Amino acid sequence: MTNPTAANLGRRSALTLAGSAGIAAAATGSRKANAADVTLAIWTGYPELVPWYQAMGAEYTKAKGTKITVLSTTLREHEQKLAAAVPTGTGPDVFDVGQILAIKFIEGGLIKPNPTAVDGLLKSGAYRKTSIEQFTVEGKTYGLPQLFSTPAMFWNKALFKEAGLSGPPNTFQEKMAFAKKLVKFDASGKMTRSGMSLRLSGQGSGIAEKFRFILEPAGGTLIKPNGKGKFSQGYDNDAGRNALKYYIDAVQIEKVDDPKVQHDAGAFVAGNTAMLMREAWVIGEIKEKNPTLDYGVAPIPAWGTGPHKTLLQHNGLWVNAKSKNIDAAYDFQLFLAGKESMVKLTQTSGWVAARADLDWTPLLKEIPQYKEFVNPTEGMQFYPEPVMAAWDEIESRLADKLPGAYVDASLQDPAKLAAFIKAAAAQTDQILKQNDLYGT
Amino acid sequence: MLFCYVALAPVLALFFYVRIIPIGFSFLLSFYKWNLISPRRPFVGWDNYLGLLDDENFLLALKNTTIYSFSTVLLSTVLALPLAVFLSRKSRLSAFYQTVYFLPVITPLVPVSIAWKWIYDYNYGILNYGLSFLGIKSVAWLTDPDIALWALVIMGVWKVLGYNLVLFLVGIRNISGELLEAASIDGASDWQRFWRITLPLLKPILLYVLVTSTIAAYNVFTQVYVMTLGSQSAPGQAVRMLVFDIYTNGFQFFRMGYASAEAVILTLIVLGLTVIQFAMVREDKVKEG
Repeated sequence: MTNPTAANLGRRSALTLAGSAGIAAAATGSRKANAADVTLAIWTGYPELVPWYQAMGAEYTKAKGTKITVLSTTLREHEQKLAAAVPTGTGPDVFDVGQILAIKFIEGGLIKPNPTAVDGLLKSGAYRKTSIEQFTVEGKTYGLPQLFSTPAMFWNKALFKEAGLSGPPNTFQEKMAFAKKLVKFDASGKMTRSGMSLRLSGQGSGIAEKFRFILEPAGGTLIKPNGKGKFSQGYDNDAGRNALKYYIDAVQIEKVDDPKVQHDAGAFVAGNTAMLMREAWVIGEIKEKNPTLDYGVAPIPAWGTGPHKTLLQHNGLWVNAKSKNIDAAYDFQLFLAGKESMVKLTQTSGWVAARADLDWTPLLKEIPQYKEFVNPTEGMQFYPEPVMAAWDEIESRLADKLPGAYVDASLQDPAKLAAFIKAAAAQTDQILKQNDLYGT
Repeated sequence: MLFCYVALAPVLALFFYVRIIPIGFSFLLSFYKWNLISPRRPFVGWDNYLGLLDDENFLLALKNTTIYSFSTVLLSTVLALPLAVFLSRKSRLSAFYQTVYFLPVITPLVPVSIAWKWIYDYNYGILNYGLSFLGIKSVAWLTDPDIALWALVIMGVWKVLGYNLVLFLVGIRNISGELLEAASIDGASDWQRFWRITLPLLKPILLYVLVTSTIAAYNVFTQVYVMTLGSQSAPGQAVRMLVFDIYTNGFQFFRMGYASAEAVILTLIVLGLTVIQFAMVREDKVKEG
């Protein structure tokens, strides 16, 4: 698959990238940089990955002599630091970040095409086809997939049993019916436990990302490609209206969730919600904060008779093109991507490693709830996050509008709901136009 | 005289380097399209400014920031003034109360914002707990889009009240006791002494408070950022402010030129308000003259 952003690469960037490919390949041929006096700086936006980086760094130092330092900040700060430091040559040697930011570095020539050894590993069968496609731009591979992140549905077995429900819902329609049996109110009518925890408030792209959990199974999408490298909104349709109606029904009609009650992983861990759609890291939270919680993990429900669909996000491991120890950096990148290292990543952080050729049997024996994340249900369809620089803005701008819509009683009127979706979709198209990405 | 200029030169040079150059660079950048990372930086003329006119997020942020600023400045001034008059009276507890009111000013904003997030919590917040004793039903301070902005105003007033109070207190204590004593002998009531003597003499300080509070209020950011973080927080649109919008465009979407144009507009607004306030002082001086 040709990456959608390929069309955005300027001639100058393409020439830079092509030229640097040869240099990178030549550089990795040498191992001179792996000397005891070399120190590699690693930056991560995931504090929970620090123990893994440190453990692998210690092993690498023992084997090769190269010292490793790890700097961790929150994800948002990490992205800002990278954006300021990498172009000015003051960034780390190796860093992890999502592809939405990485594509900007690739466009700017600040991440080079993979040298032969890294490219070889990516195409060796160790990774899924989807992963390889996501790390390919204009036929060249960049970086290595590190985390393979998909949401699934956590359900509280004890609460289900209490409500007389034997298993998780298979469709969103069932989910709503189940949630009505699971929600709890106190004597004054105040919700004390939600039947399902949706993302209803706050700000940022996460709100739109969670909206997609329902939109995509319902048959819509935020942006649809035209096959010629351009895109247009894909939710000013029945799917978009149904997805928004689902939220409005949940909050205003069926009253199975409320912005005022506790939400997200915290609510699920504390038993304050019965169902939550989230990624594998919640397992780590449960293990740490409420290890006796009786819960299961099921696939994201289907929309009616439609297929099961779930979001696929990758986090990548990248080498800074301006690294002064670039050959050592590539070597360490390969070391981190090794099989043993990747298993350790999941064991220590809770995130699922991106390699597809790992033996998960010991992990599943210890924590069976990982099954849906490491071996998703047969027939599960993945919808990947589009690799384009404007994606965060598209999601964030929609996210700005959604919390208000979820609690807006006037949107119970189908005509007003349709008008809201139309306006939001027009904004999506406008962002695509501003970025020269619009086309039907 | 030459020595003064030479001695000031390093400080001025530093000021020029860390203040003037970045401001000038931001102004220049507002005419370019740049994502901070790419070496390409095409000149787009007035496009960024024209884009702002149609940008509903910017217009909403401008409206919210103006409501927040005027409310915070007005309430913090109106409350600080009588408190300062009250605390200017000789009392054993005066110093204690001054400390209490000034504490929020010196407390770092991030932990304070997190604390207020808890205070405002619908289920476990101390504010709703207190209101329950008065028979008032719990209020969704942060998650209700119609109330969230006012929750920020309350916090903003709490934060700045002590600072304004101390400034007024200094002004009041500098007013000659003889004037007030003479007024008392002439039979003026407390209210008349305040209205005819204290307030007119406090005018320069009042204007200083208004100018600095307005500038600070238009630059509100930290509490907005903290209070919209996470799922249990204020809806972003309800409390969207100008600096937050600049931050989002600049450091989240990496639209540095566009964010710079917003920053220039913000500077012009604050500059305009300051000029108006200074003009009022000048007008006063002319009248006095």
